[in-house]
Amino acid sequence: MSVIESETAQAPPAARREKRGPATKRGRQFLPFVGPALVFYTLLFIVPTIGAAWISLHEWPGSGPMKWRGFHNYVALFHDTMFRRSLLNTLELLVVVGVVMFVLSFAMSLVLRDMAGRRVARAVIFFPHLINALVFGAVIGFMFNPGGLVNSALSGLGIDGHPQWLSADNLFPLIMAAMLFITTGYYTTILMAGVDRIPPYYYEDCAMAGANAWQRLRYVIIPLTWDVFGVCAVLWTIASVKIFEIIWIFGGASGVGQPPHQTWTTAVYTYVTAFGGQSIPQYGAGTAAAIVSLALIAVLVGLLRRLMRRDVIEF
Amino acid sequence: MAQRSARIRIALAAATAVSLTVGVGACSSGGSSSSSGGGKTFTYWSMWKTGEPQQKVIAAAISDFEKQTGDKVNVQWVGRQVMQKLTPALNTNNVPDLVDGPVSKAYPTLVATGQALGLKGAYAAKAGNDTAGSVIPAKYLKDINIKLPDGQPWMVPYNIQTDGIWFNAAKYPQYKSNPPATWDDFVKQLDALKAKGVTPIAADGNVPGYNDYWFVTLMTQLGGPGSLKKIAADKTGNAWKGALPLKAAQKVEQLVKGGYLIKGYQAAQFPYEQQQWASNKAAFILMGSWLPTEASSYAADGMVHDSFPFPSMGGADSARVDLSGFEIPKKAKNPTAAEKFTAFFLQKKYQTMWAKDAQVIPIRSDVAVPKALTNAVKSLQTATSFRQQDDGILFPGYMEKVFYPLDDQLFFGKITAQQFVDKMADAQKTYWESQG
Repeated sequence: MSVIESETAQAPPAARREKRGPATKRGRQFLPFVGPALVFYTLLFIVPTIGAAWISLHEWPGSGPMKWRGFHNYVALFHDTMFRRSLLNTLELLVVVGVVMFVLSFAMSLVLRDMAGRRVARAVIFFPHLINALVFGAVIGFMFNPGGLVNSALSGLGIDGHPQWLSADNLFPLIMAAMLFITTGYYTTILMAGVDRIPPYYYEDCAMAGANAWQRLRYVIIPLTWDVFGVCAVLWTIASVKIFEIIWIFGGASGVGQPPHQTWTTAVYTYVTAFGGQSIPQYGAGTAAAIVSLALIAVLVGLLRRLMRRDVIEF
Repeated sequence: MAQRSARIRIALAAATAVSLTVGVGACSSGGSSSSSGGGKTFTYWSMWKTGEPQQKVIAAAISDFEKQTGDKVNVQWVGRQVMQKLTPALNTNNVPDLVDGPVSKAYPTLVATGQALGLKGAYAAKAGNDTAGSVIPAKYLKDINIKLPDGQPWMVPYNIQTDGIWFNAAKYPQYKSNPPATWDDFVKQLDALKAKGVTPIAADGNVPGYNDYWFVTLMTQLGGPGSLKKIAADKTGNAWKGALPLKAAQKVEQLVKGGYLIKGYQAAQFPYEQQQWASNKAAFILMGSWLPTEASSYAADGMVHDSFPFPSMGGADSARVDLSGFEIPKKAKNPTAAEKFTAFFLQKKYQTMWAKDAQVIPIRSDVAVPKALTNAVKSLQTATSFRQQDDGILFPGYMEKVFYPLDDQLFFGKITAQQFVDKMADAQKTYWESQG
């Protein structure tokens, strides 16, 4: 973000000279440039969101007449133990996976900085992010079923009394581990780009000043990558609140049924409520859950931005 | 120079805007051309996908229908997601004239929304020499309500799914000749198997909708079809405190505590344990009549699929019948031609192909069924009352959010039968309060 800001701030003088009455000129350019995107955005995102908010105030099975319910769908959501559980799971994914992942990613980006063969290493850790979650879904049963690869291997080593890997209670930790595996490489790559940006003379300065590794981290690397961290945190927040497919697939629901309720996130709750099950669809309650998720993202991102706000260091 | 490039940029932006608008417009008008033809062409969105045996039979019938009547069918082989696709379409004018699906999916989509057409005309139309209505066994429709408030049926069923306790008749011929008739007989057999070191029952614990077969069937065998639905409809939840739900739950508990279920079933991902069953690692599995086809690709050599009906609980026994068939939305532009086709498809010729090619149970009772399903169909013929999947409960989200979570806990042995009924009573009360 700050890179873009600093670039515009340092626009070449020639361009600046061109501007006669920059405000009016910018005003004139606003419509043709922003207009089409705005039209597109409004049609595809804002209008449906308003539509969803409107639907969430009704009882509606997806077609036919709508019955006004006011804010009842929202009240009912918070009385629903399943929704509370889903919300808690979503936050658990966001915080637990988020914290562990950032620590890992940052540590890896530091290690990889001076490592030989770093390009290969970077490609390897990024790779899980490229794999479709369906592949994990196909593999997980093969690996973790009662007589799967993992238990067979354990038996081979003489270990019996295997954990019930895929039982409803153990599935969520497994999903969290998988999320870590999938996303760590992605964020490592972004953080590495930030770390790589730091000019080498800062490190030379550190060496000359006799700074140890911790001091170098504390006074050079963290401040200079802070904005990249901020962006990553926002990206992860948005991504984590929308986690759906991995739950669906790990729950084995790609063929039949639905994932065990212990693993539901708000996105899964929304889907099951609106059109996942074999019962009368509740688009009103489903969209209410979706609006709550949207509000959650907005609040979290707002808080995060405020929390991460620092003066951008230009270098 | 700068001014010129600015102009070019503006022109480009304008062009983008125009193309976007055109693009969006094109999207919204797409598909409206399908409503052509003065009553002689109709559109059909199918629950079957290209290449499935069922699809091939319907395609053959469509081809004959077009030749014989001169009507034309625009068919889209959508697959099982057809009802999900239909829901948004029902809010537009681009609605198919014919769809198909099981009761559990068609009712929520079409009937609960008031969008299903009454099919009196289809029932009166000719299926060969008979009317369609006369070849659909009336005894099923006594318990399975596929009628609109005005008394007209909303579905022309062409397929039945039933269930049974499946076993390998090559390995256990005794269950073919002398199946356990009562619950106590059944448990005796389970004990006998266990004593011989055979795992009695396989189950894939990760599918709540399969786990609940045990409780739901026990409950409906005790109280009769519709008894569980009646309990579920009780706004106070107190109906769970009656004797029968507890008794049914105790039988599930008996299975769990007795150690009759295959080891690790709580943590098995479908179809793992079903495959174990098909490889003779367990004797029984309670499953729908699709099992022989579904398990055929991984069944052990020499496997002979057979089934016996769920044991009697004394008095209120029934057979499971889940109907699938054609429905016509109210907004259909050419309902008459579509109705004519639904009846046409019930001819003996296509129902015979249906049973033979797809290895499933046709709605007509005068058609030979596949060998693996002979005993399942026999129990349909002798039964006098009929239960449905989940006892026909389609209350919004009830099964998914109230029943499955607690039933799973009962089936996994995490709660006792008493705790199950108590928790169901509470959860159901909260559920109905939230429904307002």
